[in-house]
Amino acid sequence: MNPEIAAEPAYTRRMIPRGTRDFLPPEAARKRALETALKETFSRWGYGEVITPTVEFFECLSLGDGPELVEKMYRLFDREGHTLALRPEVTTPIGRIVATRLREEPLPIRLFYVANVFRYEEPQAGRQREFWQAGVELVGALGPDADAEIVALAVRALEAAGLRDFRVDIGQVGYVNGLLEDGNLGPGGRRALRRALLRRDYVALEEALSASGLSPARRRLLAELPRLRGREEVVRKAAELADNPRSRAAADNLMAVYQALAAHGVQDRVYVDLGMVKDFDYYTGMVLEGYTPELGFPVCTGGRYDNLIGRFGYDCPATGFVVGVERLMMALDAQGSGLVPEDGMDRWLVGSTGAGRPQALAEAASLREKGFAVEVDVMGRSVPELLEYARARTVSRVVFWAGPDDRREFAAPGYGEVTKGVGL
Amino acid sequence: MIRRPLTVALPKGRLLARVADLLDRCGIDTSGLSAADRHLVVEGDPVRFLICRAADVPTFVEYGAADVGVAGKDVLWEAGRDVAELLDLGVGRCRMVVAVPAASPVERVSQLGFNSRVATKYPRVARRFFNGQGIQVEVVPLHGNIELAPLVGLAEAVVDLTETGRTLRDNGLRIVATVGESTARLVANPVRYKIRAQEIDELAAALKAVTASPQAGGGECADRIDRSGSA
Repeated sequence: MNPEIAAEPAYTRRMIPRGTRDFLPPEAARKRALETALKETFSRWGYGEVITPTVEFFECLSLGDGPELVEKMYRLFDREGHTLALRPEVTTPIGRIVATRLREEPLPIRLFYVANVFRYEEPQAGRQREFWQAGVELVGALGPDADAEIVALAVRALEAAGLRDFRVDIGQVGYVNGLLEDGNLGPGGRRALRRALLRRDYVALEEALSASGLSPARRRLLAELPRLRGREEVVRKAAELADNPRSRAAADNLMAVYQALAAHGVQDRVYVDLGMVKDFDYYTGMVLEGYTPELGFPVCTGGRYDNLIGRFGYDCPATGFVVGVERLMMALDAQGSGLVPEDGMDRWLVGSTGAGRPQALAEAASLREKGFAVEVDVMGRSVPELLEYARARTVSRVVFWAGPDDRREFAAPGYGEVTKGVGL
Repeated sequence: MIRRPLTVALPKGRLLARVADLLDRCGIDTSGLSAADRHLVVEGDPVRFLICRAADVPTFVEYGAADVGVAGKDVLWEAGRDVAELLDLGVGRCRMVVAVPAASPVERVSQLGFNSRVATKYPRVARRFFNGQGIQVEVVPLHGNIELAPLVGLAEAVVDLTETGRTLRDNGLRIVATVGESTARLVANPVRYKIRAQEIDELAAALKAVTASPQAGGGECADRIDRSGSA
């Protein structure tokens, strides 16, 4: 080995940073096909694509993202001393755009994106440091119809990606917030309860409940919250159990969303989970998560966030969701489904002698026009060598021009000679 | 969705027999767990068991390799994994403590000298505890026989688990602080807890019923780690 290379940490020369990845041709093609299916679905629902910068001002991004995400941002400085950050998600940049350049647009505004995002965290259990997100934002619409559209679109997008076995759970953060707005609860008690709910630490939840000054009925309801899940009957039950206006309004809203999903034709995919607790500072209404039985983490997540765009000086409600592209790829792998990438199409290999070169190149051009993928030999290979290469690369057809008038054609799987070729 | 047996990750070691006993009393067949014919995977229906190292249970559950598992709260603190914590099983009760050699002048953790070395199997918990107290220490991670470290001058203190305090005493160590009290917990993968809600809820309810009965020997649940910490 070159002593200089041996001395250098082999790590940084030949490796990529932890939590990042390369996509090689078959996988990159699968990823593109998946993204294309998602984009087409979003477009057909009237959403327009936005492409935002990879790097933005830290001040801007931290306006939208809670402390947990802020801590995970990759930060850097520009030469004027501004702090920059790599985007950890795309909803905040879209909030910025809506509050500035799209402020005069008629509402609602429907936008989608497919983008890589960056989070400095331990790469494990479906988390990477650079990963891809495909998401939509429906901006400017209050009310259950907008939320129902988001849920229905999430279902349709996952279907379009080829996912077979999945479900989407919806909840309403107003329900639990209503229960926690209680005069008998100090700020410390509220924090303990939120924390336990957010971490799904139901042992700590029970403890915090018994330490709280809440009424026995409300304690029981909060303790039961993680198990308030099912279909329509659960929303009805939640509405009955709601002992305050805010929780009641949340249950009514969830009922309206759920019923609207029937008309969208996606109700059988959707479950209700009143215990679904997500970032308390971010979400303001309905929330959603999509699951498959194979993965231990969600493939998509989202909900209503009516306060975000207001932080940019334009009070405007919004709702949306985002799909984790790599997670969706994992789920598709596990289900043995997914889209066949386009270059799984018939592939050709064209070789020649020097004398047959013009004919070989002419045929390659004409095959490409017909829509085939054509490799032209640049290694000066003989027929046996070409066939060996074709076998290794799973190229289905091989053509060899031995001279201007001498064309031979071979076909997979046996690569026997074809007398009546397809190519000409 | 395809039906598979519920996969339960159990910690090998002392806790296993006690947990098997609880499961037994829930009417779950645990004969495959007896020491005589112990395998890493014990197939069964409606429940199959994975036998793993105690510290690995949260990992198996977070990734979804197991739907649910049993892990000590101490392990959960240290692992910091994203799992749902469903039930305090009341068994495997122990304390995580800071201990110093009996002859040490230290009476309280605040008296530990600047950058004192603290040997432990729980480096994350130890760091969090001392950070929360505003005390700077050098955490020395070890894999076992923590009591040895202060005896040979590797560390001035230890953070370790103790049931009765006896092992610590026998090794000439004296407890100066309690980091937290731990018991075994039933944990679940958050997604599986939704997709297989009914089965998991039933298991949790059955276990709750048997742990609530006096035979389990569990008193009130103890789940306090110092204010600075939690997994």
